[in-house]
Amino acid sequence: MEATERLVRTWMASGRDEEVNDLVAAIESDQTTLLNLVKALGEYLTSEEDKDRTKGVELLSAVIKKCPAEKLNRQSVRVLTTFYCSKLDDIHTIIPALQGLHSLSGSPNFTSVEATTVVKGFFSHVTMKALTQSVRFVVYSTIDTIIANHREALKGLDTEFINGYLALADGEKDPRNLLVAFAIERVIILEFDISKHVESFYNITFAYFPITFRPPPNDPYGITSEDLREALRGCLTATPLFGIMAMDLFLEKLNAGSPAIKRDTLQTLAICFPVYGPATAHSFSRKLWNSLKLEIFQPVDAETQGEALKAFKVLIDTLYSEETVDIIDLTGLAKDACEECIQILKEPEKTQAKHAIKVLCTFVATTPSVAKYAISQTVPHLVQLFRSPDEVLTRPATVVLLAEVITASRDVSKLQNSDTDTLLGPFQDDILAVLAAGLKVSGSEKGALQGLLPLASAPSVLSDEEIGFVVHCITEFIQASVDSAVSSRDEALELLGTISGSNHQHVSSQTLPILFSSLPDHPPPRDDSASRQKYWLSLQSLKKLCRHSELFETLVIRLTTKLDLIWPTTFESETEPAAAYAHAILKTLGQTLSIKVEQRHPDVAKYVDRLLPRLFNLVLSTVLSTPDRRVDQRILDVTAQIITLVVQVLPPSRQQSYANNAFGALLTGNINQIANGHKIIPEGVKFHPLDKSASANQKDLILLFGAAVVPIEEEVSIPVPDLSQFLQSLVVWHYSHADEEAQKIAVEHMIASIVNKHVDQLQDFLTANLNAFWQQEIQDPSKTLSHRQRAIVTWSWISKALVVRSHPLANDFIDHLFDLFGEEGINWAAAKALGQIGSGDEVLTKKNHCIVKVLHAQRYVAKVLPRIIAGAKDANERTRQTAHLVALTSLIKSIPRAAYAQELPSLIPLLLRGLELPDPEIRVNVIGTFQAAAEGDPSEQSIVEEHALTLVSSMLKNCMVDQMPAMPVRIAALKYLGVLPSIVRYNILHPQKSHVVRELGKVLDDPKRVVRKEAVDARFTYSG
Amino acid sequence: MAGEIYNPNPTIFSPAQPAGRKSDFSGESLWIDEKVETHDDTDEVEPIDAEEIYGLIRTIYDPEHPNTLEELRIVSLPQINVNKNHVRIEFTPTIPHCGASTQLGLSIRVRLLRSLPARFKVDIYVKPGSHVSEHALNKQLNDKERVAAALENQALLSSVEQTLRAFSGRV
Repeated sequence: MEATERLVRTWMASGRDEEVNDLVAAIESDQTTLLNLVKALGEYLTSEEDKDRTKGVELLSAVIKKCPAEKLNRQSVRVLTTFYCSKLDDIHTIIPALQGLHSLSGSPNFTSVEATTVVKGFFSHVTMKALTQSVRFVVYSTIDTIIANHREALKGLDTEFINGYLALADGEKDPRNLLVAFAIERVIILEFDISKHVESFYNITFAYFPITFRPPPNDPYGITSEDLREALRGCLTATPLFGIMAMDLFLEKLNAGSPAIKRDTLQTLAICFPVYGPATAHSFSRKLWNSLKLEIFQPVDAETQGEALKAFKVLIDTLYSEETVDIIDLTGLAKDACEECIQILKEPEKTQAKHAIKVLCTFVATTPSVAKYAISQTVPHLVQLFRSPDEVLTRPATVVLLAEVITASRDVSKLQNSDTDTLLGPFQDDILAVLAAGLKVSGSEKGALQGLLPLASAPSVLSDEEIGFVVHCITEFIQASVDSAVSSRDEALELLGTISGSNHQHVSSQTLPILFSSLPDHPPPRDDSASRQKYWLSLQSLKKLCRHSELFETLVIRLTTKLDLIWPTTFESETEPAAAYAHAILKTLGQTLSIKVEQRHPDVAKYVDRLLPRLFNLVLSTVLSTPDRRVDQRILDVTAQIITLVVQVLPPSRQQSYANNAFGALLTGNINQIANGHKIIPEGVKFHPLDKSASANQKDLILLFGAAVVPIEEEVSIPVPDLSQFLQSLVVWHYSHADEEAQKIAVEHMIASIVNKHVDQLQDFLTANLNAFWQQEIQDPSKTLSHRQRAIVTWSWISKALVVRSHPLANDFIDHLFDLFGEEGINWAAAKALGQIGSGDEVLTKKNHCIVKVLHAQRYVAKVLPRIIAGAKDANERTRQTAHLVALTSLIKSIPRAAYAQELPSLIPLLLRGLELPDPEIRVNVIGTFQAAAEGDPSEQSIVEEHALTLVSSMLKNCMVDQMPAMPVRIAALKYLGVLPSIVRYNILHPQKSHVVRELGKVLDDPKRVVRKEAVDARFTYSG
Repeated sequence: MAGEIYNPNPTIFSPAQPAGRKSDFSGESLWIDEKVETHDDTDEVEPIDAEEIYGLIRTIYDPEHPNTLEELRIVSLPQINVNKNHVRIEFTPTIPHCGASTQLGLSIRVRLLRSLPARFKVDIYVKPGSHVSEHALNKQLNDKERVAAALENQALLSSVEQTLRAFSGRV
């Protein structure tokens, strides 16, 4: 007891939390009791001094708040409640008393008797207007708790409670309190008998509609207007009794409000209709339709129109929810509105028709009877319109409208998961006839295809026969469009592609033969560009259609046959049309395969036997005939692409046997295993492309072998006696025998891929051989500069193969490159190689089964970037410094932005210096980096702020044709100039505005169209 | 804009042909993926032509509707003439008493003022017979002083700005 008294006295002096905690702890451990506390507080609780009374009650409330529930027995709760209620009429104790009651109301021993005492106490003593927000919040929270736990007791109070609450809540304005108040009001409206108080409740809820509250910036309470809106809607939709009063208010807000208020009103209407019921909706239906019509037919914006349509849908749903009448008897709003829309549709080409069809589509999504009615009115009307000879000019618009109805109807069926379409069913024949005719009317093709797509993509809406008809019509359309190059061709092919996904017979029996037969058997002569365009269009169509495994098989057979037929024996200028045709065919195969690989089609693998030997057969038949017949580079490229695609997807065992065959051909000239086809390969000519005496046309084929080796998996062994030696021989071949850049690149890819996968077997090659290579080919000053620069590229490929798998040896390779930075002439090549190592490419990828470690690029950047930055800042040696700068610009361009984002502030001055370098490629890189930073986080965007003026003048310099002949730089500079106003504060750029506009005026006369376009865009952002 | 709308229900046309130059394979070159960039490095000058100017004005929005001038067929390619340093543009208001025509012409004028090099003289005319006050309109649109005076009017300028807005893509 004494201890308690002491703590109480201390607290009265100090007001610290510690004493409260001590008291609570003492009560918890039964060293003292609440009774003792009250006794100890006695003199304060009844003190004449206002301050002491306040503090006394405050301490008691503080302790109760923290006191464990089991220490508050029924008796003490009752006593405390009565005590607190008696303190409510004292302005000095009301605040702590309310807090105490709030704590008590949550106690399990707080019974309904106390509940009624408390609310009565509130109603008689609490004047909300005199209290601050936080105290009012306590009152609301207490009522909220009581209403949650003791609802029945409050219902017993009936009118007294409702009136009391209404008085209490009237005029509340704080959003935090309103959130609680709305929750309470919703419960009262839902659960209590409010029939006599509807108007009062209407007043305290609808007064807040619409919510216009905007949270202050950095609002610590995090209440959004959305929260409030939701809570308020909870009240508005709590009873149908609000109906009539509410509708008037909604209509008024809808007609007069801002777009935001309109949207809010429309959304609220949409959730209110079902609650208020059909009767209310019915009595307001005309007025509502008139208001909604305005929002739909003269929309403020698309979003509001959408909300209006949604509200309208709910209105119709509500109105016709109980009716299952036959469509002939349909009366009321739906009928009238429908007729109104049909009236508007008499002029299908006008803007209003677009809105009207939206209304009709909304009907389709409502109750079945209304939907049926709408369809039965709309579809025949449109069909008739289409057929009317007077309306020929409006056919395109009519078909588009019809397509929209079909789409809407299909969407509804999809929602109901029904395959058949009961809505469109009766009109299906007419619709198909119109769409089919539409395909033949100029201008309406697009609409017709839009209408066919939803019909054809549902599996069982159309019968097999009808699908056949559709395929037939589209095929005709495609055939016709070969001549006229109509833009809807792509959509038509898309549609056929969709159909062939589920039902490919029709496509393969009707469309493919026509497309195949449109491929000529002889290459069109050089001056016949029309035929050339025609075969290319056919090939493009085939590419889109033949993805399905069976169709693709047909494609491969037909196209390889065609290749055999047109394959030129020589690749000279007179046979160039044939070569180009062959190239187009191969390209089609390659593109289709690439899509199939992407979609993981399982049938790709089998073409290792069916397609690749045929291609090798063709190529070898030319190469081995005479040494001077070289196969066109472009044909080799696309053939190589096909080989890589197929080998990529082979299982390892299959890859092994293919590798064996390929190496057999490459090393020993045994070509029978890889080439097989109809062309006759001359006997007796030895195939040995890697031999130093090999003819150039044989050497070319290293491209194809490279393509086969690159995607081979790690576990497949390369069938050579000594891998190190083999790679060394490739390097030697590269520098002594290869005579085309393409051959060199192919060898480099091959080496990189093998190094990446078999690094552990290559100790000799990677150390001894490459050291020698470094000294002889790169370091040796007696070699020409271009030779040494070329060797650096090889070096960077090998480095990259190691970097990608984060192999420790990579460091050595990179260090070597840095060593060259001091040497004028090749330092730039070395610097650019550093960037090249960090960039992604098509060879060292997961698809090619390379070992690619996650975050390898980040690791690489972490290793070299600090070094480059330090070097670029070090002004001791100009040559080295510039090389570092070049390395920086090249590296930054090739790595993801996140990898250097943190360094950005220190990079910007360096990048600005990079802009001074004469190399256009570097300038594009630098501007590209700035552009990337501008697209990043706001924090990154503002980094350039202090350099804005420098940037502006530099960009202006770089976009003038007389100062910067390289077009890509001009374009990049203009693009960035256009972005600057959006990332730099207005007051910084404003002084520059007129200068920039004037200078850009000159760029508007740039000789190049693309540049002018960018200049127009950029100038617009400044002059607006 | 005062609430009055001159033509509440204009006809919308679908764009006649896809805009821009055809980039697809047209068969003119022998090989399908001949790089386009190759001839970009040359010094070949691409003069400003009617198509380019059409590209500049077709995306202007009508002041009354959320449609472009192209969709409403207010401007079209054949109505543009380019002659060395002289551009002549004709436009067709949707209805003969359209009160928004001045603003429309002004939008075209401002657009070209900002997008064409200063060496061009631009004449903007209403299509003969398509507007009741054709003569006055033409005078208003081609008088330097009047155009400048109109652009001093902040309200007018901002509504012109509005019709040009969507064009730049980054609003």
